[in-house]
Amino acid sequence: MANDLVLPTRRSGATRLWLPAVLRDPWLALLLALAALNLAWAATGTAPAAVQALWHWWPALLRGLAMNIQISVLAMALGTLAGLVVGAVSLSPSPLLRRLTRAYVLLFRNAPILVLVYFTTYVFPFELALGGWRLPFPDWLKVVIGLGLPASANVAEIFRGAIQSIPSAQWEAAQSLAFRRAQIFRMIVLPQCLRRMLPSWMNLYASITMSTSLASLVGVHDLVDAATVASNTVSRTDFTILVYFTLLALFFAYCYPIARWTRYLERRHEHY
Amino acid sequence: MFESALQAWVGFFKPLGLNYGFVLDAGELSAFGRGLWVTLQLCAWTIPVSLLFGVLIAAGLTSGRAWLARPLQAFVEVTRNTPTLVQLYCAFLVLNMLITQKLGGGSPIAPFAWVVIVVALHKGVFHAEALRAGIEAVPEVTMEAARSLAFSRRQILTQVQLPLAVRFALPALVNNLVDLVKMTAIASAIAVGDVTYESIMIWSYRDNVLELLLLILMYFGLLTWLVGLVGKWLEERLRMPGYGQ
Repeated sequence: MANDLVLPTRRSGATRLWLPAVLRDPWLALLLALAALNLAWAATGTAPAAVQALWHWWPALLRGLAMNIQISVLAMALGTLAGLVVGAVSLSPSPLLRRLTRAYVLLFRNAPILVLVYFTTYVFPFELALGGWRLPFPDWLKVVIGLGLPASANVAEIFRGAIQSIPSAQWEAAQSLAFRRAQIFRMIVLPQCLRRMLPSWMNLYASITMSTSLASLVGVHDLVDAATVASNTVSRTDFTILVYFTLLALFFAYCYPIARWTRYLERRHEHY
Repeated sequence: MFESALQAWVGFFKPLGLNYGFVLDAGELSAFGRGLWVTLQLCAWTIPVSLLFGVLIAAGLTSGRAWLARPLQAFVEVTRNTPTLVQLYCAFLVLNMLITQKLGGGSPIAPFAWVVIVVALHKGVFHAEALRAGIEAVPEVTMEAARSLAFSRRQILTQVQLPLAVRFALPALVNNLVDLVKMTAIASAIAVGDVTYESIMIWSYRDNVLELLLLILMYFGLLTWLVGLVGKWLEERLRMPGYGQ
């Protein structure tokens, strides 16, 4: 047991040097090296032509990335709202409702996301007639729905799993303390569920963000589309290589921190 | 006989507002059938290749050699955190272009093969993570026993660790394979004639999107169900009492 006492002090010694530890992360080191290289090029004015072209296209690429993020955030918001409803219904006592939600979850989890994106893009009209108004129904909003459907099915499963992971003894204990059903759910079960759902929910968000790249296949002007246009316009071999690997790097820069944070939360969760 | 069955099919769905008239056109019917066949071929190629990649990556990650494990770890992280479509573009539009330029006209690797390679590598990474968890779950006592019987590193991996890891990881592997089947739909992005691509060709003439999408969804549902069935059968067959639950 003496070791248990010694170990934490050793560890706190290591955390005092946290800055070099962060800098030792290979991805951050790579990012800093690239930034330094670009600064040196900018200072001396010797950047290769492909890199200059990339800087010329940079605003267009970032606008594309903003579209991807916009789609992913809205799809996740839609998926979470719908998924919580479906997940709650899937725990209802009625067998008919349970079977219906089961079918919903199975259908949208087993369909390829690309096919769902085609589905919402081509089946929905390009404008909506609401009363006297004609509201445009742009393609990117249809992609939001196309990604929101599988997201909702997955959120429903995550939610159901989290609720069922709470030991039923807690319900009984709370009942014996004269909590009402709604109170038990709101004050005891839900706070624990949210904590358990968070890592899987963030995993799902990262995977939905990566799926937004499919929007380019139905004509939404997203990051992938911007890169394709840039590569076709400039039409140089070295620029094509650079722009597609920049595409990969931008998605990685957005999704990798989410994955790292998820892993951190999961590790912290193990102590409960 | 076949003709009349198709006629009956079209007639049956007409009152529901679904127009399956394309099956009466011999050219479009054969194109759709070809698409179904290509998707099946894609799955049949990609599943074993992805499992092979998975085993190789898992072996590298658990080898304990830093020069091998570090780059593989970086590769795993990049693959897990970037979209498959972008990976496919990087392979097909960039690497394929470089190979074509090097050889001067005509790349030896067809678009079909690129899809198999990219999807198999992508899913291979996920297989590797599952297998690694399985390999690390092999009890230390078992490893000691194998070492004391003078098994070499490779023998321990292939005859002790992997057979146990596969049983441990099987549910995750089957899950990955179901995902893999769904992922083959992105082949349509680089004009490989799979079922999604052939359907796009048909519905751009006929405007029967809903009808075709229902067929595609049913087809993928059937394929994923089959994969799940095989997985369950394997789980039953390989089950060792007291291990891996």
